[in-house]
Amino acid sequence: MASQVVPQLLRQHLANLAADDERISGRGQWQGREIELEVDCLYNADGSAKVVWGDTIVYVGVKFELREPYSDRPTSGSLMCGAELRPVAHRKYEPGPPSPESIELGRVVDRGIRESGCIDMDALCIVPGESAWMVIIDIHVISDCGNIFDAAGLAAIAALRNATVPAARYDVGEDYKLAVALTPIICTFTRVGGRYVYDADEEEELGGAERLSITLGDNGNMHSMQKGLKGTFTAAELSEILDVCATRCGELRELVDSKVE
Amino acid sequence: MGGYGDVKLLNDDGSRLDGRSIDESRPIEIKAGVIPAADGSAWVKHGLNEVVCAVYGPMEAHPRKIQLQDQAVIDVRYNMAPFSTSDRIRPGFNRRSREISKVTAEAFASTVMVERYPRSKIRIEIEILSAEAGTRCAGLTAASVALADAGIPMRGMIVGVASGKVEDTVVLDLDKAEDNYGQADLPMGIMPTTGEIAFMQMDGDLSMEELQQAMDYNFAAAAEMHDIMEAALRARYEGGDE
Amino acid sequence: MKGNQKGAEPRLVIPGEVISDHANLNPGCGIIKSTDGHIATLLGTLNNNDGTLHVQPINATYMPRSGDLVIGYVEAVLSNLWFLDVAGPFNALLPMSLAPWKVEFGDARNHMDVGEAVLARAQEVDESHSVVCTMKGVGLRKISDGRIVSIPVQQIPNLRGENGATIQSIKEASDCRIIVAENGRVWIDGDAAGIRMAVKAIDMITRTGHRSGLESRLAACLAGGEA
Repeated sequence: MASQVVPQLLRQHLANLAADDERISGRGQWQGREIELEVDCLYNADGSAKVVWGDTIVYVGVKFELREPYSDRPTSGSLMCGAELRPVAHRKYEPGPPSPESIELGRVVDRGIRESGCIDMDALCIVPGESAWMVIIDIHVISDCGNIFDAAGLAAIAALRNATVPAARYDVGEDYKLAVALTPIICTFTRVGGRYVYDADEEEELGGAERLSITLGDNGNMHSMQKGLKGTFTAAELSEILDVCATRCGELRELVDSKVE
Repeated sequence: MGGYGDVKLLNDDGSRLDGRSIDESRPIEIKAGVIPAADGSAWVKHGLNEVVCAVYGPMEAHPRKIQLQDQAVIDVRYNMAPFSTSDRIRPGFNRRSREISKVTAEAFASTVMVERYPRSKIRIEIEILSAEAGTRCAGLTAASVALADAGIPMRGMIVGVASGKVEDTVVLDLDKAEDNYGQADLPMGIMPTTGEIAFMQMDGDLSMEELQQAMDYNFAAAAEMHDIMEAALRARYEGGDE
Repeated sequence: MKGNQKGAEPRLVIPGEVISDHANLNPGCGIIKSTDGHIATLLGTLNNNDGTLHVQPINATYMPRSGDLVIGYVEAVLSNLWFLDVAGPFNALLPMSLAPWKVEFGDARNHMDVGEAVLARAQEVDESHSVVCTMKGVGLRKISDGRIVSIPVQQIPNLRGENGATIQSIKEASDCRIIVAENGRVWIDGDAAGIRMAVKAIDMITRTGHRSGLESRLAACLAGGEA
């Protein structure tokens, strides 16, 4: 990723706004941008979703492949989640092998889904030790205008929840809906002008500092957390964020529920 | 081209399996300005193909060794998303996408006024979201609209169109089955405003007469699609409140 | 938009479009001549300016011209010069000899560091778009207060308005000092409420400046109403 110069005036401005409890966009501290969620939108994917999150756009496609189970878990299927931050999404992204930023995004979303236990891995096994389904989630960021983590996380769980296991294509029975029991949701907070805000936009990310991404499950438990970028935070700040996070995750879960049967 | 002779691709009444006539294109939808982060962008849905394209630049060409002292470099990346085909594609460049990127870049280098921007590069990022035969053509079309949207000067807009041959009959705009089991495919990038051809590939088996027929279909289809591209650009800038 | 045929709707042209009805006019920006007539090379509105046919582009990258007032961000510093991001394809050079301070060799960073903003003038632009900037000149300076916002360069005439009337009314209503640089960056300095009002008005103009009724929308915006 090409480095971007941070204008000092932007930093100064963000700090002034924060002191007055304001944001560049006019949003409240914990207020997110508008979200459009569309599911089943990619013809060749077995499950898909498109999220338009402010000016950020992310597609997620789910595919299934039959694999031999890993030898340490012969009766389990497997899950893989990868992200591509391709140069289509912003002028700062460069072509080449997956960047550390891409890998981090894929792995944070992966952990939230995997650790929530929303997919019964044993149910993905067809013949123990011989064949089991591998669920592959591919995150494709098309426009990065801030907070790609939350947009990717939302698209990923929505795509999973409308995924169909292509059993007929692999001659192992009839197609069926993938059972996804839970809806883990990720929320990201960024330090901007000295304080945390929810759902930073492009300018806030440029002039901001570290970010905290937290995935909560249906019961409110945490499934993944990630502190990224330069900066530090306190336990008190984390606790405030977790309160906000619980409310926001609930709202986003309802959004997903409303789009998938 | 597979050229499997035993697969039936035309109905007894001469129509095609999906009901189209032999000189009929699949439905096309185009939108300009779909990627807020980009300088210019477009979305094309052509049949079941879905393509987005972003344009960035002109910007300084990096690394320096790719700079041209008298013109801009057109830097095209044609990429298929892992979920765009029925069997998942491993992410990353492959030989096919590299070749398509190269000839696409050369097509646009012939129409964009590259001499205006020495030492610069113009990035064209073509992302295939759904692939069902004809993605390179949809990519060309999307890139033309995205370049216009980005305010890049060019002599005209290239339109991606293809014809081919199935069951010894020349047909316009092959779909997936026709592409897999047909006898020839002729994708072209045509500038309808001047009648020039900026992009051409072909594989299979075509006679001189069949080539002429396929080119006639392509030119007619390109003129029609050009109108849709123009309408997409007008809709973006003459439309309502946004 | 000024320069159009009076009373007529601006005509949108697309790249490659043949313009057959103005054969007597000279080809200007965004127009090339061919045997069929003039051909537009840009997406934009057609403009007849004193016998020259132009396309006023809808979207454009800033291309520096010598004499332009620009706002740049320091992108890198060497011991004797600064590299400025001036929103064009290439970084501009600001050599220490053209800085407003007496700079010792190796001391450039202490005067101005990465991320700082300057109001400068493009002194020299060569054919391959290399730009040398100067800070010697009236009003040229380092910018350390206020806000800088970016607008599309093709919206600058809309923001300025007829004889600068539009920008003047924003300055007066917001009580801010506002400088519109040719590279699409606008510096606004004043108190917080004034800056907020000015930014809102500028944003409204850049989003809707190409449509009619701008004057009343601006008045409403500056009076505190919704744009």
